[in-house]
Formats: sequence, C-alpha cells, structure tokens
Amino acid sequence: MEAPVGFLVVSLLLSCFATTCYGVTFSSLQRTLEVTASPKEGQVLKAGDANITVTWGLNRTIQAGTDSAYKTVKVKLCYAPISQKDRSWRKTVDEMKKDKTCLVKIVAKPYTASNNSFTWTVERDIPTGTYFVRAYAFNAHDEEVAFGQTTNDKKETNLFKIQAITGRHASLDIASVCFSAFSIVALAGFFYMEKSKGKASQQK
Amino acid sequence: MEVTQNSDNNDRKFALPVDSEHKATVFRLFSVATPHMRAFHLSWVSFFACFVSTFAAPPLLPIIRDNLNLTATDIGNAGIAAVSGAVFARVAMGTACDLFGPRLASSSLILLTAPAVFLSAIANSPAAFLMVRFFTGFSLATFVSTQFWMSSMFSPGVVGTANGLSGGWGNLGGGATQLIMPLVYSLIHTQIGSTKFTAWRIAFFIPAIFQTLSAFAIFFLGQDMPDGNYVRLENSGEKHKDSFSQVFYHAITNYRGWILALTYGYCFGVELTIDNIIAQYFYDRFNVNLHTAGIIAASFGLANLFSRPGGGILSDVVAKRFGMRGRLWTLWVVQMLGGLLCLLLGKVGSLSASIAVMLVFSVFVQAACGLTFGVVPFVSRRSLGVISGMTGGGGNVGAVLTQVIFFRGSRYSTEEGMMLMGVMMMCCTLPILFIYFPQWGGLFCGPKKGSTEQDYYLSEWSKAEKEQGFHKMSLKFADNSRTERGKKGSSAPIPSNYETSPTFV
Repeated sequence: MEAPVGFLVVSLLLSCFATTCYGVTFSSLQRTLEVTASPKEGQVLKAGDANITVTWGLNRTIQAGTDSAYKTVKVKLCYAPISQKDRSWRKTVDEMKKDKTCLVKIVAKPYTASNNSFTWTVERDIPTGTYFVRAYAFNAHDEEVAFGQTTNDKKETNLFKIQAITGRHASLDIASVCFSAFSIVALAGFFYMEKSKGKASQQK
Repeated sequence: MEVTQNSDNNDRKFALPVDSEHKATVFRLFSVATPHMRAFHLSWVSFFACFVSTFAAPPLLPIIRDNLNLTATDIGNAGIAAVSGAVFARVAMGTACDLFGPRLASSSLILLTAPAVFLSAIANSPAAFLMVRFFTGFSLATFVSTQFWMSSMFSPGVVGTANGLSGGWGNLGGGATQLIMPLVYSLIHTQIGSTKFTAWRIAFFIPAIFQTLSAFAIFFLGQDMPDGNYVRLENSGEKHKDSFSQVFYHAITNYRGWILALTYGYCFGVELTIDNIIAQYFYDRFNVNLHTAGIIAASFGLANLFSRPGGGILSDVVAKRFGMRGRLWTLWVVQMLGGLLCLLLGKVGSLSASIAVMLVFSVFVQAACGLTFGVVPFVSRRSLGVISGMTGGGGNVGAVLTQVIFFRGSRYSTEEGMMLMGVMMMCCTLPILFIYFPQWGGLFCGPKKGSTEQDYYLSEWSKAEKEQGFHKMSLKFADNSRTERGKKGSSAPIPSNYETSPTFV
C-alpha cells in the first residue's frame, strides 16, 4: 500500500512543481475577449496629455459558459514588436511570469461579459514607442486564462504611437548651461591666478 | 661639484619624516598635514568624484533608456565610449603632469569635464547620451595625476601603499555610484515630486557639483611637490622646466612602460569590463531582480576599499625583503590567479558559488592593479607622468578591447565571454616575465654586476642636460630607490663611480 501512496504524493508534488515551475504560458491562453481602443491606426498620442478609451467584453461568437472561470480583467498597454527590437528588457517570452511585453497597467476591474469601458490618461512616464492594448482575464487563483487585444496575432495591425515627454524644463536647461559656463570661467581664473603667482615669485 | 644637503635651505619642517627629496617615508592615513597627507586626501576624493560621475548613468539606465528611447546597442556603445575617451586622456594627463604639475593638470581636467556631467541633464537622444558619456569618461584620466602626485609625495618605501590607497579609494566611486545615484534619484522623485524623466536629470547635478568642488579644493589647498608648486620651483631654479619631446621620447622608448600598459589592460581593463556587465549577468543568468543585481555589482566595486590598497601595501611589504624582484613576482602571481578565477567565474553555475567566486576574483584583480602601481613609479623618473599615463591608458584599452571582442552582440554568451577573458588575462600577464631592471633584476635573472640606480635614472638625461644640472631630481630619486635592492642588496658596497657626493647612508 505504501508504494502507490508514495507515488501519488510524489506525482502530486511534481505536478505542483510543474505548474509553479513553468507557470502559465501565453500560448495556452484562449483569445476570447474583444478589446477596442480609441486611438486610430498610426495615431500619435502625447504622454501626460492624451486619453485612451478602452472597451472590452466577451466575444459574442464564443460559447456561453467559457467565461465561468473569469473573475477579474486587467487591461494593459503593450509594446509592438518594433518597440521591442534590440531592447531585451521588453522581450516577449511565452511564460507569463517572465513576459515583459505588457508592462503598463491601464486598469483592473472585476469581470463582466459586456459594457466594460475605461478612459485612461496616458501617464507622463510612458516612453516613446509603438503600442497596442491587451486585456487579460484572470481566474480566482490570479492566473491568466484568456486574453484579447486590439491588434492581430502577429501584432502588426492597428498599432498607435505614444510620444513621451522629454523631462526637460527651461529652468534645468538654464541651470545646466550656467554651471557649465561657470566651470570654464573658473578654469580660466585658475590659469590667470597661477600665471600671476608665477610672475610674483619671479620678481622676488 | 655640488654638495647635496639633506636639509633644505629654508629649513622647512614637515609633519612627517621625509627623505632627501622631502618625500614622506611613512604614511599616516588619518592625518591631513600639508603637503603629503593633504595631497593624498585631495587626490583620492577628486578621483572618487570622477568615478561617480563616469558611472552615474548605469544604475539609472532603466529610466534613461525609456526617456531617450535607447536600444541595447546604444547602451553598449555608450558604455564603451565612457571608457575609451580616457585612453588618450590618460596619456595626455601624464604628459601634463610632467610638464605642469599634478595640481594644475588634474584641477583643469576636472573642470573641463564637469560641463559634460552638467549637460547630461539636458541630453535628448541616443547620440547626445553617447557624447556626454564619452566626454565625462575623460575625467578618469585623473587616475594618472593621482598616481603621479603620490609618487611625487611619497618615498619608494611607501609609494605602493600611497598609490594603492588613492587608486583604490577612487575606484570605489564606481561601486558607490550604484548606491548613490538611485538614492538621489528616489529622493528627488518622491520628496520633491518630479516625474521620473525629470528626476534623473536633476540627480546628475549632484555628481557634477561634487566634481567641480573637488577641483576647487585641489587648486586652492594642494601643492605639486613637497617643496612647492612647479611654477614657484621652476622660477627659483630648483626645478628644471622640462621639454615635452624629451619627456615623451624617454617614455615611449622604455619597453617596460609598454609591458605594464598591456598587463594593466588585463587587470584594470577587466575590472572596468566587469563593472559594465556584471549586473546584467546576474540578472539574466540567475534571475535575480534588478535591485539585487545592482547590489551585487556595487559590491564588486566596493571591494576596492581594501583590495587595491592591499595590493599596494603588499608590494611595499614584499619590496622590503626582496626589492623590485619581489614586487614583480607578487604582481605576476596575483594577476595569474586573478585570470584563473575569472575563468572559474564563467564556469560556476549556481548563484551562491558565483557570488563567492566573484568576490574572491575582485580581490585578486584589484590587488593586481595596486601591485602594478607599486612597480610603475620606478620605471622612469624623468617621464614618470607619461609612463603612468601609458599604463593607465593601457588599462582602458584593455577594457575597450575586451568588451568589443567578448561582450558585444550575441557571438558569445556572457559566461563564455568571462571564461575567454580569464584565459586572455593569463596570456597577457606572461610579458611580466620580460621586465628587467639592470640594477635590480627581473623575475628570473638577478641584477647586472656593477649596475646602479644612478646609471639607470641618469641615462634619461643627455650629457649637455647633465652639465646644466637638470638631472638633480633624478639623482636624489636614484639614491632613495636603493631600497628596491631588497634586504640582501642594500648592504652591498656602493660602487666608486658615483658622480656627486655625499650619500648619507
């Protein structure tokens, strides 16, 4: 009797490990949500200024009951492939825990099948890039189970751009230039003082 | 014939015991007495400030790369640019020290590079980012003025210690900045409430102002030599104002300078490379978070607190018994072991083993840097600055080469790159076997019979120059460097062909 029980325990543990080790993968998610966002294809939005209105809901062609496990929805701003190129800190990885495609959370709300909408002001620390919007549905264990996005599977269509703030201010610019000029003037002063010290000791 | 006297005409009293060149023969860390210890503290603090400025960007990269839309290639290129500017700047600095003195040379360079740090705050594109990192990197040439200044203020018996401590504590800036900049940034971001993209810009003013203030301190509080500044000494005739071409010629024709430049490229160059890649390595290979990776990276640089000075002190301790041969042997052994540890670092597969190996590796590679500058002050007296500059510049060349060959693009994984870097370290340490001083010996051969320190150092001056008495300082140095014969040699009889008298033994 012991051997089968032992086996069961080990296989249970292993299966627990398997799910925690591998975690949820993006390829395992079903695309059942319909997501639309207000920016048109190629539109350029200004960070800190522009608004994005996102609407999402269950795709009407999906069989009823598929969404029984969906508890919450998180809507995120995601990088398009062109903004991920040569930037490994935004890499798309299948394992959801390691995936860095969608780093900015727009909103998190409890799940309802329809009539979901949210208007979000693009935050001032959003970097310049090309984006799309994706919504993930989470189950009670806070694991992703489904998603929907404003672009196609290859992430090529319906992308929009965001222009970041520079972070520069006139006062910073002026301070920067003034301090730099001061350094150079101080240096000239040093040379002058050194030369006159030299002349003075020569005359001694 | 001149009679050289032990005490100066002005009968100056120094706080520390001094030799015939008025260089301090002991090192008192907690003193700020002029001119020796004050020069020490001024030099390490200003060098520390320059290191903080040069490596201020890496810890803030996660924010800067979003603000300036940088790619991984842009970041890599800027990192290489930051260390490549100093290659020529260090040689130029060496020359400037020989001709104008370390006080003016270093304060000038620091003030010339401070604008690059100030202007980092208004950088707006990858190109601008590269430019500011490139020009800020020039400030790392203050390393040369630091070592030159210490070699001018401290006697052969303690010069390794002085060089090691000032160099090590300056290098500390590279580790400290990984902790300072994020702290300053978060203070500005949370307390003052600036947005992320403004906060990092304001943060850069801190290292910039620190750097500028250190230049003022050097100019007003520092002094080139124990007896005074170059300007005054040259006008009174105590010091001869040397010619650039002669100084340069005697440096580049001394093969020992070239060998040390190569070997320094593979201890200090390796240290700079690791500074740039280690956080990323731990983050990618062992999946620690960015914050933890930053702390590990900082600890590598912070080991400089004791490991580089340790190398310098070890050099002096070994020299007491075994002289220059001891210094060379210790350098060779320590750097070889460093290479082996680098190879090992690339091979270990677990996080804790990796951290342990990294820490031991940091001690050995930084000690090798300290040991190198226990040898450099003796290679040339006339062209001390240019030799120091060549060696220092060689360090940066090593950093550029290593990063370009092993850590760029995806040809090698980071761990493969480290293994290969370790192998290259060991190969490039072998040339130390060929360093030979006729008066002291080399790794395998003893000194040439009858060869003296005077022969070696005075060979840098022509007959005409000697007739005009330009070589006075080299003469004193030759006498003082007899300690490099070690215990056995210093009791050997003085050859009778000494030109001037007397030597108070």
